[in-house]
Amino acid sequence: MAKRSTILAITVSAAIVVVGGVAAGFGIAGSAGGTKETVTVRLWDDQVAKAYATSFATFEKANPNITVKTTVVPWADYFTKLRTDIAGNSVDDIFWVNAGNFIDYANNGNLVDVTKALGANASKAWSPSVVKQYTTNGSLWGVPQLADPGIGVFYNADLLKQAGIDPKTISTLHWDPTGKNDTLLPVLQKLTKDANGNTADSPNFDPTKIVQYGYNAANDLNALYINYLGSNGAALQKGDQFVFDSPKGIQAFQYLVDLINKYHVSPSAADTNTDGSFSLNQFTQGKMALFQSGSYNLANIKQGAAFSWGVAGMPAGPAGAISVTNGVIAAANAHTKHPDAVNKVLAWLGSAQGSAAIGATGSASPAVSQAQQVYLNYWKTQNADVSPLYSVLKNGTVQPPQGANWMNAQNAFGPIFEEIFLGRTPVAAGLKQAQDAANAAIK
Amino acid sequence: MTSAPEPVRRALRAIAIYALLLVAAVVTLGPFLLSAMTAFKTPAQFAQQSSLAPPSPWTLDNFMNILTGPAEFGHAIGVTVLVAVFLVVFQLLFSILAAYAFARVDFPGRDALFWVYLSTLMVPAVVIVIPLYLMMTQLGLRDTFWGLVLPFAFGSPYAIFLLREYFRGIPQDLIDAARLDGANTLDILVEVVVPLSRPIIATLILITAVSQWNNFMWPLVITSGNNWRTVTVATASLQSQFNGNWTLVMAATTLALVPLVALFLVFQKQIVQSIAITGFK
Amino acid sequence: MTARAHRRRNALTGYALLAPSLFGLICFLLFPVLVVLWLSFQQWDLISPARFVGLANYESVLSDPIFGNSLLVTLAFVLIVIPIQTGLGLLAASLLTRGLPGSLVLRTIYVLPWICAPLALGVVWKWIFAPTGGALDAILGTRIEWLTDPNLALPAVCAVVIWTNVGYVTLFFMAGLLNIPAHILEAAKLDGAGSVAMFWRIKLPLLRPTMFFVLVTSLISAFQIFDQVYALTGGGPEYRTDLVASHIYSEAFQLFDLGRAAVMAVVLLAILVTVTVAQQLYFRRRTTYDLSS
Repeated sequence: MAKRSTILAITVSAAIVVVGGVAAGFGIAGSAGGTKETVTVRLWDDQVAKAYATSFATFEKANPNITVKTTVVPWADYFTKLRTDIAGNSVDDIFWVNAGNFIDYANNGNLVDVTKALGANASKAWSPSVVKQYTTNGSLWGVPQLADPGIGVFYNADLLKQAGIDPKTISTLHWDPTGKNDTLLPVLQKLTKDANGNTADSPNFDPTKIVQYGYNAANDLNALYINYLGSNGAALQKGDQFVFDSPKGIQAFQYLVDLINKYHVSPSAADTNTDGSFSLNQFTQGKMALFQSGSYNLANIKQGAAFSWGVAGMPAGPAGAISVTNGVIAAANAHTKHPDAVNKVLAWLGSAQGSAAIGATGSASPAVSQAQQVYLNYWKTQNADVSPLYSVLKNGTVQPPQGANWMNAQNAFGPIFEEIFLGRTPVAAGLKQAQDAANAAIK
Repeated sequence: MTSAPEPVRRALRAIAIYALLLVAAVVTLGPFLLSAMTAFKTPAQFAQQSSLAPPSPWTLDNFMNILTGPAEFGHAIGVTVLVAVFLVVFQLLFSILAAYAFARVDFPGRDALFWVYLSTLMVPAVVIVIPLYLMMTQLGLRDTFWGLVLPFAFGSPYAIFLLREYFRGIPQDLIDAARLDGANTLDILVEVVVPLSRPIIATLILITAVSQWNNFMWPLVITSGNNWRTVTVATASLQSQFNGNWTLVMAATTLALVPLVALFLVFQKQIVQSIAITGFK
Repeated sequence: MTARAHRRRNALTGYALLAPSLFGLICFLLFPVLVVLWLSFQQWDLISPARFVGLANYESVLSDPIFGNSLLVTLAFVLIVIPIQTGLGLLAASLLTRGLPGSLVLRTIYVLPWICAPLALGVVWKWIFAPTGGALDAILGTRIEWLTDPNLALPAVCAVVIWTNVGYVTLFFMAGLLNIPAHILEAAKLDGAGSVAMFWRIKLPLLRPTMFFVLVTSLISAFQIFDQVYALTGGGPEYRTDLVASHIYSEAFQLFDLGRAAVMAVVLLAILVTVTVAQQLYFRRRTTYDLSS
């Protein structure tokens, strides 16, 4: 009689072993195999992830006992995931961080000091502006990977032709918050069409049925508003303090918001607030004439666009065309289980050879100085003149985001900016509220 | 109204009722059908035509893309099945043991303990997700299989409650007879109680499998990257990565929903009954 | 065997059987509640060390208009969702219990959304509501920004939840209606009650236990809604859909203020305990239904 229960007990124990085994198999898959070490790399950019795959294949050949695995975490979740992963001790060995987010982790001892790990001389091979951006008290907190040049305007040559606009004139456009000296808006109006073919400057234009947008004015820090602030002689931050709530800052935001809600030459913030790639998709689908963005979207546009396109200079404001320039580093987890292997991968990422793939596929502008030429050469072979992204930097630049607690600040001003761009919060009142909240959060 | 003869009135009324019920059925099923349809469209068609247009040409690219691409959706399905199977087995096993103790064994503190078990039903998931995340992190179980399943593996107060009710309905005579034959408690459970409780156990298997497949908040918090993420987490992540590429995103939701719809079609009677018996999923 | 030995044996068996689930209960339910209480007195951002701050988190949360708003939004959600889904459920149940052929198939169809992953359904509805390329946009032929218009976002989220729940509610009302003894209905008919009067005077009062059960479970689940909000709106616009469970999650895992999140969790727990205890006092026995018919 007692047999069945004994059998049951044995079955259950066996089940535990089997499930445990399968589970372990799932987890270890890929990292198994003798003394082989796996170094994991996390980033948010699909295009660079592809380049990394090529680059790490070369690395693995030279280092047969190290496997490198890359993971892409979507930009929208990247920094919240990063925090729970760092705190949860489950972060990848190497991960990208941007200027707004690295300080907290550096201060808390989560990041490897690259100056110590790779030697003080290593940084000579890297873009000086990015090195400077990520150095605090003599320590550099990651290996510079991307050095975005400036912001420019991608244009759809077919749509310009239809509207009878010469692509060469795009680089000469300028905007003016007073409207007196504004050549940008009339062009954007000509390039915006509704379902009946009326352009945005026509009295019959129906803004609820737009089929072609002129431009991508939106709640987008890097591509749009920080540059509009700079081009109007304002700034997002001065040091760690937020200073965008100034008369000139208000003008810049008002201009952008009017492009969306008053002149309807850009998609509604209802589309762009929650979908960071909405405008990119509209542009590559041929439904947007001008798309202001940076080198980070070059590869996406080349892949997605079935029309002829080009790069033009960013529209100038009253203070000129003042762009942001920004770098990204690959930081290393200070608590990694295999520091030696991680240092090898870091050194590889910082070498001309290791970063060459980023440039060779044109996926992003590498921060390793020697690899930058590879990038420029690539786009030359593609017959794309990307020089406007670089020449804009001669006009001077606007300070990129910085400061400890940047994420908290962004959480504080972000929702208010969304409302401003939706046209529901008046610009002046919203900016004041947003700036107070941001400064309180960044302390 | 009084002029129309009774049978006509009745027929008219039946037609009106059917019309109403059918509209409701269309509203209920519409989102499933429309989203599945979108998953079979090419991105080009989606961008050019009305979102209600049927797929032409039909394509499996969206599915191939998320199953074999870097999203590793197939892997996520594997993880979810593994988790669901593991929890169906262990949650049920430990719940049966506890329920039997509460139903049939007389031990000191039984009623007080049962009350404690029941009262934990009031604790909402979001309240304990925060401390559980911290605990699992301390144990080094973040982003592991054990991190995913441990909090649910040792039985569910709800299953214990339902099983206990059921076990109490089993005649004591049967248990006594087995005991006279020399059976111990474990024998009685295996030989008498479990075979007699098949309906409630089947119900609980369904409920546990469905709720684990659907579980979102805990896997979202405890996993990171592709290794251990479940279908729901992978769907959410695809949605935030490919925002606007609705053909891809709808392929993900279709894959997340199809097993449930299939399960539902096969076991609809049992599922409807179990919802009614248990009051929730 | 002496009575005492017997009792000891029973105690041993009982606790042996209970051991695994008791272990789980203590480790993964009771202990975490204590951790939440401890956490509510700390200031912690997950990466720097936790710091004891006394009642500061309580002061900050209880005077925080955004948390107050979140509770109000949850209340508004309850006030929109529960009457509509109860009404629709009652209507569907009374139409489906007239013995018309096909009723059971329809009932089954209505229940389908209830068993499906709320997160996946939320994403599906996010597409349906999308102002560009969405399904509703194509059906209505006009562009409406459902999820970003502050006046439409909460109704839209409510609609998704109602859509999910109606089948479930219908199921219970059907069971309740079928459980009404035929002789009561016969007697009422003999008294000359019309079908409307019959519904309001006879059936509805007899459905009271069902009604109560449905209302209480809907109320409790409203405080737990998370997946749909995560998929649809993330709590926006202007915090208009910031239901309390979703707010707590963001406070903990997006803003990383663990102490404040813990205080909110304590408040939520207190609300649910109150609701449940009130329910227990009012209605001591839990009803179960047999739907095998």
